[in-house]
Amino acid sequence: MSKPVTITLDDIVSRTTDLPTFSAAALEVMRLADSSTSKAEDIAEVLARDQALSVRVLRLSNSAYYGVSKTVTSLSEGVVVLGMRTVKNLCMVAATYPWMSNAVDGYELGPMQLWNHSFGTALGAQTVAKLCGKCDPQLAFTAGLLHDIGKVALSIWMEKKLKAIIVYAEREGISFDAAERKVLGYDHCEVGEHLGLKWNLPEPILLAIRYHHSPDDCKEYHPVVDCVHLGNYLTMAMGFGLGGDGLQYSLAESCFERLEIKPDDLDQITDNFVVAYEKYEAMFQDLAA
Amino acid sequence: MLVANGISVSKAEIVVASDPVVYNCLGLGSCVGVCAQDTKTGVSGMIHVMLPAAFENGPVEKLGKFADTGLPELIRQMEEAGAIRRSIVVAYSGGASVFQFSSGRPGLQDVGARNSVAVAAEIESLGLPVIASDVGGTNGRSIFMCSESGEVRVRTVRHGEKTLCNFRGQEAHVKARHDNA
Repeated sequence: MSKPVTITLDDIVSRTTDLPTFSAAALEVMRLADSSTSKAEDIAEVLARDQALSVRVLRLSNSAYYGVSKTVTSLSEGVVVLGMRTVKNLCMVAATYPWMSNAVDGYELGPMQLWNHSFGTALGAQTVAKLCGKCDPQLAFTAGLLHDIGKVALSIWMEKKLKAIIVYAEREGISFDAAERKVLGYDHCEVGEHLGLKWNLPEPILLAIRYHHSPDDCKEYHPVVDCVHLGNYLTMAMGFGLGGDGLQYSLAESCFERLEIKPDDLDQITDNFVVAYEKYEAMFQDLAA
Repeated sequence: MLVANGISVSKAEIVVASDPVVYNCLGLGSCVGVCAQDTKTGVSGMIHVMLPAAFENGPVEKLGKFADTGLPELIRQMEEAGAIRRSIVVAYSGGASVFQFSSGRPGLQDVGARNSVAVAAEIESLGLPVIASDVGGTNGRSIFMCSESGEVRVRTVRHGEKTLCNFRGQEAHVKARHDNA
């Protein structure tokens, strides 16, 4: 096995040349939408600073999914018609789709696969949050959407190591993230948290990124971590965007207790999740158009 | 290699054809893709099962979603298209699970294992011979069937594509099974 840790987390974030950037306007919208004093025009004003993002948000606002009877022609109208929090989610989708829909070769994820997986986890986490009533569903959505950003940053460093990590995980009988830590010295969750810090993502989202495979290890407990863990489980189980790591991960069943969800309800939750996913699929076509 | 641009059978869907068709079920995690073919008439079908059993409360909108409603419906549709039950053979793949459950005692949480068991039980109760299956593990899979050649292939990201079985030449298998029944 190759010797671990020749490249630090800082190296990955500073030396990866094609690292995605997160729209400053999208981050500001995220903050504003969570503030009780924000107004529709505040959000529209911030969004207008990023023209490409604004165009995508407007396109999504007019998606058949939302069934708005007349065409939304301005950002402020979009915020009024759809609501601040929905626009926040659209903004997150519009800000991440351009780079999340690309192939992530290091994890053997083809074009759209990371996107399908991330969007699935966003909807899964939101479905779980709505059901348990212990977490803001919009927060769960955003955290789910961003949970695997570490894979994007690590991809280029993984291209010659993925097979070795898979073989190591299978041989040692450990999860893929544990094998990443053994071989690389860190896993995609830690890299994602590091990138999220650079982007100034809010603390609960950083926790969800860091502990989405190991919620029991999260010392500063926040229910969004469990929601994303279960959302990720649903997404893997339903096969949305599976890469070379497949389902080589653990399920922390303690989540069910903490969220007061009965395992008996899992099939119904899975069904609700897939129905929600299929409804949203039309939106992807609007984005790709 | 069976190309992926045939008929895609998406989650909860059942597709049946009497003409030659290439089918695929892409991105199977815990779901199970079941291929079936009448070795005499060539009528074929595929189903993408999501969950083991229909919910007790409320109607089932998509019969193909569940093993217990979907498999009988697949066979019903194949018979409607001209298939003869006694000469239908099946193969299936999928039913993956996460690597580990923290309790060490996976129960209802292990959708993949429950799907595999439910599909096997339903096929048994329908009296259909299983030519081959590839289930479990932690691999995401895709399954392909070419009804003209009878070939069934399975692809995983980790291990590439392989032939699971060929329905052609299985008539003797079918006859032996029914003779022994």
